[in-house]
Amino acid sequence: MINQFIYQNDVLETNTEVLANGYEITIGENKYHISRIADGKYDVELNGTKSTVCCVIKDNKSYIDIDGLLLELGIPSDDSSNAGGAAGLVGEKDKIFAPMPGKVVKLLVKDGEEVKAKQPMVIVEAMKMEHQVNSPSDGKVKKINFADGDQVDTETPIIELDIEE
Amino acid sequence: MSKTLFNKVLVANRGEIAVRIMNGCRLLGIPTLAVYSTADKNAVHVRTADEAVEIGPPPPNESYLSIDKIIETAKKYNCDAIHPGYGFLAENPLLPEACEKAGIVFIGPSAEAMRLMGNKVESRIKMADAGVPLIPGMKSAGASIEEFRQAADKAGYPVLIKAAAGGGGKGMRVVKNPEDLQASVEAAKREAKNAFGDDTVYLEKYIEDPRHIEFQVLADNLGHTIHLFERECSIQRRHQKIIEETPSTALSDDVRKKMGEAAVNVTEAAGYRNAGTVEFLLDKNSNFYFLEMNTRLQVEHPITEMVTGVDLVVEQIRIAAGLEISEYVFNATQRGHAIECRIYAEDGENNFLPSSGDILYYEEPTGPGIRIDSGADGLSAIGVEYDPIIAKLITYAPNRELAISKMISALKDYKILGIKTSRKFMIEVLKHPEFIAGRTYTDFIERNMSDRNMNYEAEAELAAAVSSAAMMQSSKAVAVGNREVTPSPWQTIGPWEIGQRISK
Repeated sequence: MINQFIYQNDVLETNTEVLANGYEITIGENKYHISRIADGKYDVELNGTKSTVCCVIKDNKSYIDIDGLLLELGIPSDDSSNAGGAAGLVGEKDKIFAPMPGKVVKLLVKDGEEVKAKQPMVIVEAMKMEHQVNSPSDGKVKKINFADGDQVDTETPIIELDIEE
Repeated sequence: MSKTLFNKVLVANRGEIAVRIMNGCRLLGIPTLAVYSTADKNAVHVRTADEAVEIGPPPPNESYLSIDKIIETAKKYNCDAIHPGYGFLAENPLLPEACEKAGIVFIGPSAEAMRLMGNKVESRIKMADAGVPLIPGMKSAGASIEEFRQAADKAGYPVLIKAAAGGGGKGMRVVKNPEDLQASVEAAKREAKNAFGDDTVYLEKYIEDPRHIEFQVLADNLGHTIHLFERECSIQRRHQKIIEETPSTALSDDVRKKMGEAAVNVTEAAGYRNAGTVEFLLDKNSNFYFLEMNTRLQVEHPITEMVTGVDLVVEQIRIAAGLEISEYVFNATQRGHAIECRIYAEDGENNFLPSSGDILYYEEPTGPGIRIDSGADGLSAIGVEYDPIIAKLITYAPNRELAISKMISALKDYKILGIKTSRKFMIEVLKHPEFIAGRTYTDFIERNMSDRNMNYEAEAELAAAVSSAAMMQSSKAVAVGNREVTPSPWQTIGPWEIGQRISK
C-alpha cells in the first residue's frame, strides 16, 4: 500500500507491506520494520537500530514523538476541494497571519502603506505574552481585516499585501 | 480521631499546582475543594479534589480571578482556609484581606507583606534601608519617557524595563540601544496592564553574565525564620524559567551562607510569614543583588523538596494554622541534586510559540528519582485562556551528572502528542557542554542555543514510516468497529485459578 505524507515542503512516499508481526515500510532505500506495542506506540527497527516512537493520526494530520522531538506530517486528502492540507503548510508571502489564536494588540501599519520584508506589522497577544509578527516580503498593504482589540484565529489573514512577483 | 488543622481547604487555582496543593492537604488529612471555570470541567485538578464547584466562564476575571466568587464559595462549602497556589490571585493582597473579613485563613503571607514585596519599587527602597545589596537603577517608577531616558543613560545600556507589579517575565523588556527605549517602555506597559491590571514600570541596569539564584524561606508566627538553600534558575527563555536546579554550581559554601543570611534578613525586614522566595542576581565575581521577593509558593519548589526532604505545602498549611515550622525542617541539609524541567505547551522548535489543542497521547516516565507534578493527562485539552504550563518533570539523584542523565532519559520517555512542547529543546540544553560545565547564565539560551541544527529530514522519514503503520492500524480499527485495543490475555484466557486453567 502506498501512502503520502507532507513534511514542510516535501512529499514523503511510503510503501507498506503487512508482515505476520507488523509492517515493513519502504521509503527510498530504507526498509523500516515496525510493530505496534500499545495504542499509539510502535517499535521501529532500521538497519539493526531500534527505537520506540509514538504516533497518533487525527484529522488529516499525523502527530509523532521521536525521543522528545515532535513532528507533524500532513496527510493529503483524497477530496480535491480539501487538498489545502498540503498547501496550508506552505507559507504565503502576501498574507500575514497570527501565529496562534489570540488578540490583536496593535497594528503597526496602515492601509496603503509600503512595507519591507521583516518589518514589524502587528502585535498579537496570546497566553498573556505579546508576539510581533513581521512582514514576509516587500510590498504594499492591500487590506487590513482586523482592528486593535479584535480576536483573531490562524485561518484569516490579519493583513493582506500587494507584492510584486 | 484528632481534629485536622483545617476543616476544608479551598484551592483557588487550576492545573498542576492545584493538584500539588491537594496532595499536600491529603497528607494532613484535610479535605479539599476545587473551583473551576467551565473550560476546566474535566480537568485533572477537578477530579483530584474531594469536592469541586464551577465558579464561572473561562475568562480568568470571571472565575479564577474573582475574589467575590471564591470567598462566597468558600463560605457556602464550609472551607476555613484558602490556598492560592501561584499566579492568579496568589500575589493579590485583596484576597488575604477578603479572607480576613470573611473569617477564613489565607494560606500565605499577610496582605501588608504581600503589598510591600509586590511593589518592586517600594520593596527595593525598604531592602536598601535594611542593608541588602541592590542593582543600580531608578529609585521610583518612571512617569515620562524622559525620566526613563535619563535613568537609562545614568545606569548605562543595556537596561531592563520591569513591571512594578510584575513577575514571571511579563511586562519585562531588555533595551540595548537608546532608540529602542520608547517602544520597549510602551510594550512593557501594555503587557503589565494586561497581566496585572497596573501599567507601572521601572528601569534598572541589566547585569551581563548573571545567574538567577533564589533562596527558599519559611517563617512561622512564633518567631522562626529559616532558609532552605538555593535554587539556580538561570535557564530562561523570554525571561521565564524553564530549567531549574539545586544546588547551584556557582555557590561556594561561604557565598551560600551569606546569601542565605541575606534572604532571612529580607524576610524579617518585610515582616513576612509563611513560605516565600528571595530572588538574587549573582554576577561572575559572586557579588549578589536582591531582585525581589516572591510572596508565594514557586513553580520550582519541588527541587527544594527533593534535596531537603521538606514538604513545603505541608509547612505552609502548618504555619497558616499557627503552628511552628516542623522540627525536622530546622535540621534540613542539601542532599543530592535535583533538576526541574517545565513542560509548557509551546513549540521549542519554533521560538516557543504557544500551542493549544487536545492531548492525543499522554504517557509519563517512571523510575526511581523521577517526580512529575502534572495538571494534565490523556483526557486534557490545552486552551489559550491560561498559562501554558502542563506539568513539571523533576529528577533527583546523588549528584548533578546523574540527575542530568536521568532527566534526559525521562524527557525522552515523557510522551505527549497533539500539542507542542520543548522536550527536544531541553534535552539539547542538558547535553550542551556549557550546561554540563555549569556555566549557566540567564542568557544561556541566546548564547548557546541559537545555532541549533533543526534539520530533521531523517526523523521526518522515520515519522512517515511510523505514520504508515499507524494508518494501517487505524483502518484496521475502523474495520472492527473503532476498537484498536488488543484484548488483554486475562480477557481471552477463560476461567482460571492459580496454577491451572479451568477446562470447560
